[in-house]
Amino acid sequence: MDPDAVARAFVEHYYCTFDTNRAALGGLYQDNSMLSFEVAKMQSTAAISEKLAGLPFQQCEHNISTIDCQPSGPVGGMLVFVSGSLQLSGEQHTLKFSQMFHLIPTAQGSFYMLNDIFRLNYA
Amino acid sequence: MDPDAVARAFVEHYYRTFDTNRAALGGLYQDNSTLSFEGAKTQGVAAISEKLTGLPFQQCQHNISTIDCQPSGPAGGVLVFVSGSLQLSGEQHALKFSQMFHLIPTAQGSFYMLIDIFRLNYA
Repeated sequence: MDPDAVARAFVEHYYCTFDTNRAALGGLYQDNSMLSFEVAKMQSTAAISEKLAGLPFQQCEHNISTIDCQPSGPVGGMLVFVSGSLQLSGEQHTLKFSQMFHLIPTAQGSFYMLNDIFRLNYA
Repeated sequence: MDPDAVARAFVEHYYRTFDTNRAALGGLYQDNSTLSFEGAKTQGVAAISEKLTGLPFQQCQHNISTIDCQPSGPAGGVLVFVSGSLQLSGEQHALKFSQMFHLIPTAQGSFYMLIDIFRLNYA
């Protein structure tokens, strides 16, 4: 398993899902997953799905600038650190953001997000 | 253990050490630690210390804007996600940055950085 390849594949899948089918993001979390989205913190698939579905915009597009990753911990986890910009439909200016994921292997050979932290980067 | 308290104490200690005694940062890593600094990856206390002390500025000051943290799993680790600005002596404009740490408990009741990822946030 090449960590960089895993990280890139996950990042592409995550943002593609976010931008085209946000309701499907719940499948990437489990009940012990935690999300920090700006100042809001929540745990579990249900709470996280509700938060993401309820974000105050219909359409968005993420453009990724940097992806850093490192394997982390005894269970084959991966840390992924992303920066980029976010264009909300109808908004003139794009927003800058940073986000980190802690990916844990699943029994099916995939990964889920145990930890997800998102922050806008203000000028 | 309160992850928020751990995160805040660690962040304060890390940036104060960075800004006043950069050579002492090595004590916060172990030989399995990895640092990704603007995409350059290094591993181990010696290599990381060398990287940090070799950064091309003498004095700097970090100002922290946000600290987010979450527990990272059953081993008692803590993920910390920081954003802020970095003023280099002699430079007119401060730089914006984001950084993430994966803190792992030590036998002595402290924490060390298993993972450290740093990125400047360009406008």
